Amino acid sequence: MTERLHGTWLLVRFELRRDRVLIGAWLGVLTLTVVASAAGTASLYSDTREQVAAAEAINASPAIVALYGPVLDVTSLGELAMTKMTVLYAAFVAFLGVVLVRRHTRVEEETGRAELVGATAVGPDAPVAAAVLEAGLACVAIGVLAAAADVASGLPVAGSVLFGASWTGIGLVGSAVALLAAQVSSSARAVGFLASAIIGAAYLLRAVGDTSVTWLSWLSPFGWGTQLSAWSSPRAWVLLLHPLLAGVLVAVALGLRRRRDLGAGLLPDRPGPATGSPRLRDAVTLAWRTQRTAVVGWTVGIGVMGVLMGSIIPSIGSMLDSDGARAVIEAMGGIGGVQDALLAAITSVVAVVITCFGIAIITRAAGDEHDGRSETVLATATSRDRLLLAVGALAILGTTWLLLVAGLATALGRGDGLAAVGASLVQAPATWLVLALGLVLLTLRSRWAIAGWGLLAVFVTLGQVGESLRLPDWVVGLSPYSHVPKYPVEAVTWRPELAMTALAGLALVAAWLRFRSRDIG
Amino acid sequence: MSDTVDVSRLVKSFGATRALDELDLRVAQGEVHGFLGPNGAGKSTTIRVLLGLLRIDSGSVTVFGLDPWRDATRIHRRLAYVPGDVSLWPNLSGGETIDLLLRMRGIDPAGTRREELLERFGLDPTKKGRAYSKGNRQKVALVAAFAAPVELLVLDEPTSGLDPLMEQVFNDCLAEHRAAGATVLLSSHILSEVERLADRVTIIRAGRAVETGTLAELRHLRRDRVRVEVSGAVPDVAALPGVHDVTVDGQVIGCSVDPAGLPGLLSVVTAAGVVSLSSTPPTLEELFLDAYRSPA
Repeated sequence: MTERLHGTWLLVRFELRRDRVLIGAWLGVLTLTVVASAAGTASLYSDTREQVAAAEAINASPAIVALYGPVLDVTSLGELAMTKMTVLYAAFVAFLGVVLVRRHTRVEEETGRAELVGATAVGPDAPVAAAVLEAGLACVAIGVLAAAADVASGLPVAGSVLFGASWTGIGLVGSAVALLAAQVSSSARAVGFLASAIIGAAYLLRAVGDTSVTWLSWLSPFGWGTQLSAWSSPRAWVLLLHPLLAGVLVAVALGLRRRRDLGAGLLPDRPGPATGSPRLRDAVTLAWRTQRTAVVGWTVGIGVMGVLMGSIIPSIGSMLDSDGARAVIEAMGGIGGVQDALLAAITSVVAVVITCFGIAIITRAAGDEHDGRSETVLATATSRDRLLLAVGALAILGTTWLLLVAGLATALGRGDGLAAVGASLVQAPATWLVLALGLVLLTLRSRWAIAGWGLLAVFVTLGQVGESLRLPDWVVGLSPYSHVPKYPVEAVTWRPELAMTALAGLALVAAWLRFRSRDIG
Repeated sequence: MSDTVDVSRLVKSFGATRALDELDLRVAQGEVHGFLGPNGAGKSTTIRVLLGLLRIDSGSVTVFGLDPWRDATRIHRRLAYVPGDVSLWPNLSGGETIDLLLRMRGIDPAGTRREELLERFGLDPTKKGRAYSKGNRQKVALVAAFAAPVELLVLDEPTSGLDPLMEQVFNDCLAEHRAAGATVLLSSHILSEVERLADRVTIIRAGRAVETGTLAELRHLRRDRVRVEVSGAVPDVAALPGVHDVTVDGQVIGCSVDPAGLPGLLSVVTAAGVVSLSSTPPTLEELFLDAYRSPA
């Protein structure tokens, strides 16, 4: 047995070394949100009465319960503070497990690196064991950090520890789901899709259970976090369910793995067409053809989220009718009716999420260049201008389209006019500017494109939390998002919109000039 | 007639590394030109300059008499390129990729030899890009390159992933294009391949062309290995001009001879009575090793 696992620990160390930035950033951001939630909720409500009223408002709105889960004990501050963390943010913990396991199993097989490692003196089960172990370590770490963050923010120790343990548990489940998915398909992209779909289905099952047939929630790992009731009269045995399920999934995955060859999947690869469509003829149609699944997926996702958000806004509006909450929402969304302020605030967050689509398109273009596919395209009669146009158009038009979808879906969910469409579209110039800067990074040097994510993170931090951190105005003003008019609370101010559009145009020209004069590869 | 590819004193640096150091390369119209060198000598960098993907630091480069940096797309309409390490789009099938590459060169796939070539290379066009092995990815690029008539083929180590049977198919395709008048730049480190296919050869080392010419011309620069058996007294050939590395084993003399020293050697051994004589020209292998051993 030890022979089959020889070298596992070496591989774990190697993987931790490769993932130090990824895991560090993921853990850091999640820990910060726990701190912000714990400290923020306590300051939001001045007395227990307001706090209970808020908890009851959550339970009274099926839309919020569907998204965040219910509050079992309305008198518990800890439970109220951690509602979102227990269910919605637990999904991000599960995704950390998915990303880590997929990265060290199927991605390694697809690139052929698994063969390279497999041919050395490591045991045949060592790579899988190392992937699971590494993801497990990351899940334990996030559990410990979350618990510590809660304790440091003044929440009860016992509840904090149980809550942290539930995060570790959901992370283990996510890792195990990814390991199972990695046995099924030979495509790393499909593995990511399959694992996300399973996690999404589990989330949906809980949403249905929490809002109607309660026992259904017990069938979903996302329901267990709530049913654990970490903060008052806890059922600690619920914590056994996560590792139990994860263990079963891992055992099944290992069974499947023994039956297959390295690099093969249980599902056969579906064959593609033997000839190309006449429409697939240049860089622009190629970009659309390779990314259309992503565009459709984002459109559906943003649409569903928009409808959900739109239908939640009226109920949250009443729930947040306390002075502290009003101050927070108004800081983010401007002065005006709480509902309008909420719309502006939510839309500004959605705009950031949508910008991620454009950044992903730009970083994929960098991947095409790095792998040599851009070279193949440029060795045909395709010009550099056209190649850059394909990337830029897909990123910018795709993002604008998603903003429109978000606005329409939110308006549909609210059933209250088209203010949501306006609120969404006023975000466009800021997203254009961010993407144009992303394109400048890509054209300066393809390796720098990845810094687009860092740029986005900096802008978000400045724009969303800069004011509450009392940073100087000019620092906050560096973020394009801080100049977006807080429509419909305030009137649309055209000056910043036009200025950002013009700056985006300048950045695009700079990117275009640079791309004409630099080495490819 | 001007050369199809004309590179002179080309310099290209990446940071502090001088990848191409005053490289000269001329490919005449209609010839198969072997471009030989080990990994890291600058073959791929040269090709990427010829495709207009890299900006040069100094020197001059023309393809079809045009500047590849300024007129890239005009040049690319007239050539086909097969990279050494073919990377495909993971979710496009091989058939889609071939048709896309042809259409991007302005060619309608319907009027080409793609079906016949798929058959000859034994390639399944319905597989997705991610599912192909290295050899099959290379076949996708080769089918796209060979499917239509083209003026210039730029092939960067095109057979590195192919088995011997497929190499034969590759050789046949190359011969057909050559017969149709195509010019070929074939980069390789497989010497026997270049020896079999190329009309002229340029050997590159550390970014500099160290030898160039037809195989015959290169051999003229080099010593033949001569083995001669004489009936009479063994003459002292070591003192003759242009004769080196002499060994004597009974009546058998072995030596290396410069082309200029051959007449002198022959008259001496003829006087001693030749029983048998063999002369072996250096293989490309030896030329190659020679080019690398001598200081640049």
